[in-house]
Amino acid sequence: MAGRFKILVADDELIVRESLVAWLKKGGYQVEAASGGREALESLEKAAYDLVFLDIKMPDMNGIEVLKVVKQRYPGTMVVMITAYGSVENAVEAMKLGANDYLMKPFEPEQLALLVEKLLQHKKLIDENILLREQMATAAVERYQDMIGASPAMQALFEMLEKVAAVDSPVLIKGETGTGKELVAKAIHARSSRRYGPFIAINCGAFTESLLESELFGHEVGSFTGAVKAKKGRLELVRGGTLFLDEVGEIPMKMQVDLLRVLEERRIHRVGGTRDIPVDFRLISATHRDLSKAMEEGHFRRDFYFRLNVVELEVPPLRARREDIPLLADFFLRRFRKETNKPVEGLDKKAVELLCAYEWPGNVRELENAVERAVVLAKGRILTEDDFAFLKRAVGTVEPQSLEDMERLHIQRILTLCRGNISQAARILKINRTTLHHKIKKYGIPGSA
Amino acid sequence: MAEERDAVALHGFRAMIGVVPMGDVGDVAVRIVAAHLQAVLGLSADVLERRPLNDACYVPDRRQYDAAKLIASLNDCSAPWPYLKIVAVVSVDLGVPILRFVFGEAQMGGRCAVVSGYRLRRNEDGTDAGLELYYERLAKVALHEAAHTLSLFHCEDSRCLMHFAASPKHLDRIRLFFCPRCAFLLKETLKSLALSAGP
Repeated sequence: MAGRFKILVADDELIVRESLVAWLKKGGYQVEAASGGREALESLEKAAYDLVFLDIKMPDMNGIEVLKVVKQRYPGTMVVMITAYGSVENAVEAMKLGANDYLMKPFEPEQLALLVEKLLQHKKLIDENILLREQMATAAVERYQDMIGASPAMQALFEMLEKVAAVDSPVLIKGETGTGKELVAKAIHARSSRRYGPFIAINCGAFTESLLESELFGHEVGSFTGAVKAKKGRLELVRGGTLFLDEVGEIPMKMQVDLLRVLEERRIHRVGGTRDIPVDFRLISATHRDLSKAMEEGHFRRDFYFRLNVVELEVPPLRARREDIPLLADFFLRRFRKETNKPVEGLDKKAVELLCAYEWPGNVRELENAVERAVVLAKGRILTEDDFAFLKRAVGTVEPQSLEDMERLHIQRILTLCRGNISQAARILKINRTTLHHKIKKYGIPGSA
Repeated sequence: MAEERDAVALHGFRAMIGVVPMGDVGDVAVRIVAAHLQAVLGLSADVLERRPLNDACYVPDRRQYDAAKLIASLNDCSAPWPYLKIVAVVSVDLGVPILRFVFGEAQMGGRCAVVSGYRLRRNEDGTDAGLELYYERLAKVALHEAAHTLSLFHCEDSRCLMHFAASPKHLDRIRLFFCPRCAFLLKETLKSLALSAGP
């Protein structure tokens, strides 16, 4: 058991340091030494220690100052102060500041052995306690796999999910990009009576119309050029399970009719086929677009919308549930710490404040990426504001923009750089001149040649 | 019988352990230490010529010899001796910078160890422990320190020879055996030493 404990000995006297390190090593502990206060803090920054022996009198930074930092930054680390004869008042001050015990040099062998054993047993209990509390806290907020949220908005969503999972009606999930709509769909599937069937997801915005049709309905041999083999569509493959149509707002009008028919009649024809194939699935769709507006503009069928939208769920954007940000950040930190094997233990107060202040236009996905980036590039054990400096530039300066707005601004900027030269701008943008002309017209960009 | 069966042949050394009396420690104590090292560790042990204590290792403030310095000085002078491990036996009080006293000291996985009978002759209530108990305590300390030179750590089993004993009373609770785990580790270390020593 001793080998799993890590101990740091900080003392400026070489013989004391060596002597204590040698004694602890005989106990099988992992022991490191530091010749001063600053070196001790550097070591603590790089690795986690269960127990630190701190000499009170060290020339560069005394033990009391080091103790204050340790108790503030690494409260789980046990500290034993080492004092010389006649400096008990310092030891008393150290105990008031949170030191776990103190020893007067030279120590009684029995005292040292008992103290180390007692403190490490205590540390083991604390660690177990923290682990249990973490598991309980996670269990309390983490209701569906990676879905985390203690905020009223998320708790209400979780409650709704319980109810929705129990029925077989179609569900439409609304929410901004990155809010975790697919996780919601998976959670419903996992709690539903169809959980033993497949969960098949398809991003409707990622396919051209003909490809999407073939993906959903499948095709028969020779139904189009290159269709050398018959292929089952996802509507067939999902038999008994749940079909998740992501970005359902991107489905072309013609296919909306086809899908509406499938939902009504519960059977399909493969592309190029005439045979009726029965289908059995629950439909869950998701969109980040305003479908009411799309209906008004005539891009989305009203009857299809009402067929999809039997039950509507709204996943709140991250900025609307800021109280979940520390929980989520901690969850991602623990995940990436495990994945990257980096000894990152937590976030300091300022880093949490920064994360809570940020707008998160990309929602949970953006937060996940930000924490991953910070963990991968972290230099210390605690993530600070500096580790999230890349977010600072954005806080309070940029309003969330659509992809179209970004494209318009980028084209304008390149055209200005090229002084309106279309050929040059097209080369930089890596698109052809015709496409660029089309986009200039579409966005009404003035002043181009 | 088990010890004989498990005994490991190490080549290239006259005997495995050299036991060196230092200062005015008694001959009987030294011979008892050598006999126990041989019997319990299964390694041959020779009693070497008596050596004087190095005065440079004396710490006047503490009226003790610094055990770590004694080991360092023993390391220097014993370099040409044809022994795998050296165990010095002394009758003076020993200390190290962080501990008020030690019964013995050794280099983890190193070559030299030193043991002292100074604090083993009396019980904690001040009464005489008697020669038999004194020799038994000394043998336990010697085995403990010699095992440190064979890379064994302290053991949590309070009756194992590798359990850290901070007082004679603790020493008396310990038996003259290694617990099964430490015995296994010891055997493994000796096996690896036999392999690295070569034919």
